[in-house]
Amino acid sequence: MRAILAQLNKTQGVWGSMVVGRDGIIIASDFSIDVSEQQMGAIASQILVALDGALKRIKLGEFKRFMIGGSENKLALINVGQTILVVLLRRDVNMGLVNVDIKTAADAVAKNSRL
Amino acid sequence: MWLFDKYVQWRTDSRIHSLEQGLAEKPTPQLYLQLADAHKEAGNQAKSAQVLKLGAARYPNAPEIVRRQADAEKAEREMEKKRLVERIQSHPNPILYARLAELYKADDELTRTIDTCQRGIKAFPKYGGTYLVLGQIFADKKQWPEAVAQLEKSVALDKYNYLALKLLASVYMQLDRPTDAIQRLDDILFFAPGDEGILELQRKARAIVDAANPKSIATQTGAKTGSGKPQPRPSSMPNVGRPMSLPPAAPKVITKDQALAKGLADLRLVAGVNGAILVDQYGLIVAANLDASLDEGLVGALITNVYRTASNHSVKLGVGQFEEGVIEGADGNIHIVQFDDMILTIFAKSDAKHGLLEKSIRDFAETALNK
Repeated sequence: MRAILAQLNKTQGVWGSMVVGRDGIIIASDFSIDVSEQQMGAIASQILVALDGALKRIKLGEFKRFMIGGSENKLALINVGQTILVVLLRRDVNMGLVNVDIKTAADAVAKNSRL
Repeated sequence: MWLFDKYVQWRTDSRIHSLEQGLAEKPTPQLYLQLADAHKEAGNQAKSAQVLKLGAARYPNAPEIVRRQADAEKAEREMEKKRLVERIQSHPNPILYARLAELYKADDELTRTIDTCQRGIKAFPKYGGTYLVLGQIFADKKQWPEAVAQLEKSVALDKYNYLALKLLASVYMQLDRPTDAIQRLDDILFFAPGDEGILELQRKARAIVDAANPKSIATQTGAKTGSGKPQPRPSSMPNVGRPMSLPPAAPKVITKDQALAKGLADLRLVAGVNGAILVDQYGLIVAANLDASLDEGLVGALITNVYRTASNHSVKLGVGQFEEGVIEGADGNIHIVQFDDMILTIFAKSDAKHGLLEKSIRDFAETALNK
């Protein structure tokens, strides 16, 4: 898992990433800046619960991804089966380029989770 | 002189840029203070206040930053009060009264808060937000029966109001009415499934009911005790998504401003857009243009819950202040954008052009919201 994250973090504009279980427990993490990983994992799990419920009620199907844009950075939460891939990005990142690498990492995490 | 001004401007910009970089890499309370000062010197008070807010959220135990942030907030509130008083005189609407009352309440100006609420209720008796502020005041004063009266009016007008339902449940607990509290908490869990705070309150209420009457707990709401998992739809709720315990849908109480309605209608013309809704900070609908199959109130409550969960923790997530979000589902996307104290939500197909949608949102902000 750490190798997958390390590869993703080489992408320009990525501050770091982590994989957490749906219960918020950290499976792997790799950040180049100072963040509270445990808090992040717990909040990601909380958001996932809220999103799952909302999307089902509005009939938009299974949750795939949540992209949050803030005043300082961006954050992507990607649903990868039983885990969540969390990626912290620079605010001015080129999403077109990063999307490809996030998708590659998500696929690799999914594959790894199944092993 | 012109050259000197240019030089000063360049120096300030460089300093801001360097401080922002420093904050991104290794944040400290001191850097937040320096950046706030730099923005202030550059004449950008709003940005300075925003930086202090972020710093205080990240370092709640750093006294200087907390003090400076409180001062900045107070100044911001005073300006906002002035603006709201003027707008109430020129273009009154119920949200303005509720917002103004909240600001007075934040500064402990209770007489003014109550007076503003009463004037708001007199002018717009069918808006739930103003009753909620009054209910909060009575609850703060521990005047429980008066608080119940106001909060029940609030939830009767808006059955998906998270804050009103939660406070009402707490007040019921104070009045030793745990069964009523459970009912209200169940109503919240319908649109905020898995909300840990609500589940915890519910566990406490159930424990009290259980202690008083051990056999009653299983039959009261049909939900599991303390499971920590999203609750199933309470058995009392019909399939259309309206809690049966609550009064029937109240007529739309917010006058839909024509500009907002037109703005939302324009957004729906964008290829791939299925609907749009604008809600205030309480989750109350300001304007909506949705498919008839969607219950506006429920959609507003669900979105506000997601927004609240993300924005309340945005600093801890490392993104700073929440500005926008895109939720991608298997069968469509939801775009959430914050505009001051309102949340614009757009429902779109998965293949809707993101760039076009963003441009349309900016157009909406410039035209409809600024009116």
